Formats: sequence, C-alpha cells, structure tokens
Amino acid sequence: MGGINRILVKVGRSVGGVVGILFQSGRDAIDTVIRNVLPFMAFISFIVGLILTTGVGNWIAKGIKGSASSLPGLLLISIICAIPVLSPLLGPGAVIAQIVGVLLGVEIGKGNIPAQYALPALFAINPQVGCDFIPVGLALGEAEPETVEVGVPAVLLSRLITGPLSVVIAYVASFGLYSVKK
Amino acid sequence: MNLHGLVILANQVVVSKPTGIMGALATGAQDFIKVFNKGGQNFVGLVGGIVPTLVVLLTAVNALVRIIGPERIEKLGTAAARPGLQWYPVRYIVLPFVSVFVLTNPMAYTMGRFLPERFKPAFYDSAVSFVHPILGIFPHANPGELFVYLGIATGISNLGLPLGDLAIRYLLVGLVVIFIRGIVTEFITARMMSKTAKEA
Repeated sequence: MGGINRILVKVGRSVGGVVGILFQSGRDAIDTVIRNVLPFMAFISFIVGLILTTGVGNWIAKGIKGSASSLPGLLLISIICAIPVLSPLLGPGAVIAQIVGVLLGVEIGKGNIPAQYALPALFAINPQVGCDFIPVGLALGEAEPETVEVGVPAVLLSRLITGPLSVVIAYVASFGLYSVKK
Repeated sequence: MNLHGLVILANQVVVSKPTGIMGALATGAQDFIKVFNKGGQNFVGLVGGIVPTLVVLLTAVNALVRIIGPERIEKLGTAAARPGLQWYPVRYIVLPFVSVFVLTNPMAYTMGRFLPERFKPAFYDSAVSFVHPILGIFPHANPGELFVYLGIATGISNLGLPLGDLAIRYLLVGLVVIFIRGIVTEFITARMMSKTAKEA
C-alpha cells in the first residue's frame, strides 16, 4: 500500500507542478497582452485610421517614399536616428520606431515602397534602440559609475558607425527577398 | 399599393446632398467618424489576426522559460567573460540571444553582471539591439515594442506576401549586427577607458 501511495503522490505532485507552470504562463501571457500589447494596438489603430482617411497619408507618403525606397535614403534616416544627441531622445519605449514602422508598413501595403525594402527599413528606423536606457541597462548589469560614464558615450558613438552599417548589411541580405518571379 | 411597390418607390427617392453650414457640418461629422471607423477596423484586424496566436505562443514560451529556469544561463555568463578571440561570438551573439530569449527586455541586461567592467557597455549595446530583431519569431521577448517589427510586417502581409522569410532574415541579420556592434563598442570603450586612465 505504501508503495502505491508514494507513486500516486509523486505523480500528483509532478502533474500539479506542470499544470501550475502552464497556468501561470498563461496568466502572464494574458497579462502582457492586456497591459502592453492591446493599448499599443489601440494607439496604432488610431494613427492608421488618421493616415488612411485624411490627406496626411499622401503627404507622408511623398516625404517618405523618396527616402525609404532607396539605399542612400535609408542610410540618411539611420544616420539621423544615430546622431548622439538625438538618439536618446528618439529612444524611449521605441515609440518613434514603432510609429515610423507603422507609417512605412502602410506605404509598403499600398505599394508605394517596394516590399524588399522592408528588411533594410527595419534597421534604418532603429539605430537609436536603447539609447535612452544605457545608464539603467548598465546599472542592471551592476556596472560601476565609472563604466557608466564611459559606456554612455561609447554606445552612442558606436551607433553612428554601426547604425548605417546595419542598413547596408540588411540591404545586402534582402537580395532575393520578395523578388518578383519572372 | 403593395409592399413591393413601396420598396421600389423608396429606391427612387434621392436625398440631395446637404448644402450650406449644415452641409459642411454634416460632411465634417462624417469625415470625423470615418477616421475612427477605419481605425476600429484596423484594430479588429490586429486583435483578430495577431492576439490569438500571440497569447498561445507567449504561454508556450513562458512555460519553456519557467522550466529552463533563469539560473541555468548564469554559467553561460561566466563563460562569456573569458578573454580571447574565440569568446567574442559567445559574448556578443550567444549570450545576448539567450538572455533576451529567456530573461526578456529589460531583465536581459542583468546578465552583464558576469562580465568584467570593460565588456559591460558592449554587452548592453549588443543585447539591447537584439530586442527587436527577435520579435519576428519570438514576440514574447519584448511584446511592448512589437510594432517596430509588426508595423512593417503588416504592410507586407497586406500585400499578400508571406512573413516567414522577412522574420528569419530579420533575426539572422540582427545576430550579425549585434556581433559587430559588440566588437565596435568594446573597441571604443577600451579606447575611452585608457584615455580617462591616463588623465587621472
């Protein structure tokens, strides 16, 4: 009897553990969706609604079309985003990158920007990623104050080089992406 | 007159377009609500198209991460701290990938604590640059900033093109870029540190 009991307890415990993990994961997932994802979708939908119904869309399209559908234009965007003074301002919450991403997405959807530019564009709009967060990020890594003092300008300067470089790499890597079959 | 005739008659009635001040107001009101109707359509599309998959995927990956346990990747952190050329890819490709995947944004940056001070800015740069390229395939890592990828991806799917190719290329190019970023930032950090050491 004792042996069977022990097995039952063991099976019950491990099953309970697995179910507990899955349930908690589901709870976390729903929590993130409600807290982070849905509010942003609402906000983005409003902007998309504005773009599609008002003339703003065409106006933006004219501005963006020239720069986002050529390599030099994308490089220009990436350099602007990587300027050490601007990049921390553009960084917070990646809000700017997300809005520009949506704008470009709308234009790609309309066919104003060729689809194969999606990949380099993803890097062009984002050289400023995390530039607002360097001191906090370094503090999370338990860095000394001296390291933070050096680290902030080091990362910002590095972006000026690696930002445009990432666009070039992505541009090369986008060969064969969504190319029209002939 | 039967009902059928009434319907035909009703179809013949044409309401003239309102003119004057009231007309302008009416058109204004219509255009106003059109913005939100269109936005609402877009919202339903996003919620219906993305959220269901996202919820299930988030649940699965969260469970996986819970089973793996964040403690296990600490060994990787200590390995990445070693000097030498062969540890560069570990430090600026494997470690950022694993930390962003398991710990997600922003806790991924805590893995920097296993590295010596001179590598910390480069590791942060490398890890933070990966929180968006990972989104195409593993959106659990940074769901709050999903639209950096999703904004452009929605345009692609509106064209009726598949997203898999873009997502995987975004991830792979991202890995190459964070590797380069790590090396460049480490180099710049080293230069600046030696400069401040001389001045002191």
